[in-house]
Formats: sequence, structure tokens, C-alpha cells
Amino acid sequence: MTRSRQWLLVLAALAIATVVLFPIYWMLLTSVLPSELTRSRSPVLLPELSALSFDAFAAALERKPVLLWLGNSAIVTIGATLISVVISTLGGYSLSRFRSRAQQGAGFALLVSKMLPSSLIVIPFFIAFSTFGLIDNRWGLVLANAAVGVPFATWLMKGFFDGIPREIELAAMLDGCSGMQAMWYVVLPLAKPGLAACAIYVAIVAWSDFVFARTLVSSPDLWTLTVGMQSFLGEYLVDWSSLMAVGVLSLAPVFVLFLLLEPFLVSGMTQGAVAN
Amino acid sequence: MIGRPRWVGYALLAPALVAVGFLILYPLYLVLALSFRQGKTLNVLRLAELPFGPGNYRTIFASDATWHSVFVTVVYLAGTIAPAFLIGLGAALLLNRAFPGRRWLRSFILLPWAVPGVIVSIVFLWLLDGSFGVVNALLRQAGWLATDLAWFANEDTALAAVIVPTVWKAYPFFTLTLLAALQSIPSSLYEAAVVDGATRWQSFRYITWPGIRASAALAAILNTLWALREFDIVYLTTGGGPDRATETLAVRIYQEAFAFFRMGTASALGVLTMGMAILLVLMSIRSIRREYF
Repeated sequence: MTRSRQWLLVLAALAIATVVLFPIYWMLLTSVLPSELTRSRSPVLLPELSALSFDAFAAALERKPVLLWLGNSAIVTIGATLISVVISTLGGYSLSRFRSRAQQGAGFALLVSKMLPSSLIVIPFFIAFSTFGLIDNRWGLVLANAAVGVPFATWLMKGFFDGIPREIELAAMLDGCSGMQAMWYVVLPLAKPGLAACAIYVAIVAWSDFVFARTLVSSPDLWTLTVGMQSFLGEYLVDWSSLMAVGVLSLAPVFVLFLLLEPFLVSGMTQGAVAN
Repeated sequence: MIGRPRWVGYALLAPALVAVGFLILYPLYLVLALSFRQGKTLNVLRLAELPFGPGNYRTIFASDATWHSVFVTVVYLAGTIAPAFLIGLGAALLLNRAFPGRRWLRSFILLPWAVPGVIVSIVFLWLLDGSFGVVNALLRQAGWLATDLAWFANEDTALAAVIVPTVWKAYPFFTLTLLAALQSIPSSLYEAAVVDGATRWQSFRYITWPGIRASAALAAILNTLWALREFDIVYLTTGGGPDRATETLAVRIYQEAFAFFRMGTASALGVLTMGMAILLVLMSIRSIRREYF
């Protein structure tokens, strides 16, 4: 390919990226500009660097319990991710190594899980949690989010385990490992990239959850970031700068996780079990 | 396998089965059961005391609001999937070429997939704000808009306004799957086409498209199912309004259940939504098979 053609491609890609990333840029910009500039009928697309300030972040932290929400989101995300990854690793290993009827059922379960809107699933969850006293309880929220991650994460782990030859564990077992030891010492270390992809996927899903957090807990002490952000919208005059500042804080961890996850998504390891 | 009885396999799978039972089987059972019980209760143990019958279905099928929601949902799905597919395909074709910085641009172009629905909602509410939104400011500068159009609050524009952020979150999935399909097409085919004097359009039509058609169909089905499930964006931006203009089934189910506490009708609407999903899957299973046989 000629050099000029290459530059044309780069320019086209940059143009697409600029358009699709404009919403994120605008969120970032609004969060670091004073409100005189953002509440304007002709906003500036490229402001001067001297105009930037972090007042909106300070105002958000002062006016709303943002750190509390951040902590709640972190607890729910970490709890759900740990539970989900353990369950999915065991399940994915079983599906990959043991021929069973569950194997055919697994793909079907994944498909069915894609047909249930979260606004529908939350009804049975709400009823079950009310019955067992898990409503307005952090651990209920952890369980709900963990369950949501399991079908896809199990499928993902099965795919990773399928890529690890059985001969490796057979050799370990011939050398005297028990079946479980072979899994723990030989297979799991090889599946580390899979575990990482799985954990990141579940973490993004749990961090993004809104329906469960909105419905299954009610005390403001247990609100997560997503519910907290919604509370801004209910006000008569929405404080957009502060809201965008909270949005930036909430997106930052997702952004980092996504950059780590993206190569796995693209490398096609998830083909057939595409995450959506 | 050596030293591993069958029960070990099931023991390892057990926690996942419990989770799936809790996530899928129990909700399916309870939603079906609730949809046939008339009246209000939040206590599952007392569910059996409520009168059994098809009353909830009679209520929802007789209601204009239900058919309106079905219509809004279909428009929302079609309005999302078609543009998302075109943008996703364009980005995939571009990212399939080699150029410096491709790795980073690919990450950024795929990023919206991972952005939480709540953030998508607040950002687009702000972008499309009537008085201070940057979109209106640009439209006014260009002379295409004279008034402060509140996109989400106007009955005529609200549905389009909720479709835009949905497209934004949906297109990366197409890019991702189509890119994987494009990369599996051997480059020797394109080289042979060049030798044979094929135009660019002919290469696309006879090499690229057949190579990605099956993935495109699967991605379109999965993305349609995703949009059918989508709740956060519509609920947070318009709440289904103004005057039900954006009330998709997913939003209506939630309103019935948690604004009016009518779990029975909400469940019946849920069964209707699942029926639409099943219909879609059955229709497309046939079309996917046609790709292969």
C-alpha cells in the first residue's frame, strides 16, 4: 500500500473515532469547565487550557456522598466478581473435561439468559429477596449481580479450557497428581488469561448494574454510583458539571478494565459466545 | 478419564447450575406462575391463595397501551439495529486494514460497548439538552434549528432521541464480530480478484459479504435481543414518556411491577416479551441454517 493511502486510512479512522467518542469528550470537558462556560447557549468545543478547573469534582464530592457510592459500587463489584469467577471456573472446567448432558444444556441456557430483560428478572429477585429478608441488603445485591455474570463467564471459561490440551493434565496425573491437583497446579496457571478476561467481563457488568441497585436496595446508605447518578436527574435544576464529574469518576475504572479486556474480545477467543 | 469419576464433573458444575437455576429457571417459573394469578401480593408463599386464571392476559391484550408498547418496541429495535449495523460494518472494514496506531484506535472505537447504560443516558441527556445542549447549539449555528428543541421531552422526537444513545452503545458489538469474521477471510482471495480485474465493489460483493454474512446474521440477532432487553437507557432518559411515546415493553414491565405493584400484569407482559424473543430466534435459526445448507 502506498504511503498516502495509509495516511488516508489513519485520517478516516481518526474521523470515525472523533465522532463516536465525542460524547465521552464532552462529558470530560463539562466536568472540568466552570459552569459559566458549560451553561452557555454557544458552548466552546475546544476551550483554552487555562479555563480548566476541578471545581465540579470538589462540588460533587461536597454536595453528594460520592465516596460512599463509590465504595458501595466497589464492594458489590468485587463480591460479585469473586463469586462469579469461582463458580464459572469450576463449571467451565467441568463442561470442558467431562462429557455430560449439561454440555448441550449450557449453550441453551446462555441463549435463554439473553431473552430475559433485566427489568423482568428483577421481579422474581425482588419477590425472593423479600421472602428471605435480603431486600435492602448489600449481599443480596452481590448475589444478584454474581448470578447474572455466571452463564456467559462459564461459557467463556469452557472455551479457554478447551484450548488447553488434555494431555497436559493426563501427564500430571500419571506423575501422581490427583485430578484436583492437576487442575489446580497445571491447568489453572495456563488458564490465567481466561480468568482475567472472565473477571474483567463480570466486573464491568456488575459495575454497570442499575436495575438491581435501583430496585433491590432502598436506603441511601447502600446506593451505588449508578443510582447516585440518577438522583441528580430528579433535581429541578440539574447540576450538569457535577453530574459529569461523577460520570467521569464512574467511567474511569471501566475504561481501564476495557483496555485490558479488549485484546481478548478481538482475538476471537470469545467467538461463538460473543459478549452482549 | 484417569482417576476422575463422573460425579466430580457434576460436583464442579453444581454451583453454576444453582446460579443458572436462580437466574433463569426460577424467574421463568415465577413469572409464568405470577402471570396466571390475579391480584396483588409480594409474598410468594401466599401466591397460591390468589385466584388462578387468564385474567392478566385478558387485561393486557385488551389494552391499547400494550399494543402501543409492542409498536414502540419494534420501531426501537429496527431503528437501533439498522444504523448500528452500518456504522459497525464501516468501522470493521476500516479496522481490518493495516495502518499505524490501529491497535489504539480499535480500542477507542469499541469503547462505547463497555460504557454503563447510566453513563450513556446522562451524557446524551446533556448533549441533547434543550437550552444548553451542544447538539442544539451546533444546529442553531448551522441555521437548521430556530427553537430550543428538548429532544427527550418532545413527543415527536423522543423515540429518535432514545434510539441515538442505543445505537451508540450497540454498534461496537457489530464491529467486534464483523472484524473477527473479516480477519478469517484469506487475503489470497482478494489478490486473485485483483488479478482477475475485479472492481472494489465486486470484491466486496463476492468475497467480503459471503465471508461475513453468517456472522452478521448472528450478531444482528444477538444485538436485537440485547435491544429488546435494554432498559437503562430508555428508563433514565425518558422513563417511557412523554405520553408513552418511548414506552418499550422492558420499561412498561418495570413500571407495572414497581410503580403500580401489579406483578401479575407485569409478568404477563414479560411472557409476551419472551414470546417476541422466541419468535425472533425461531425465525432467525432458519435463516442461519440457510447460510450453511
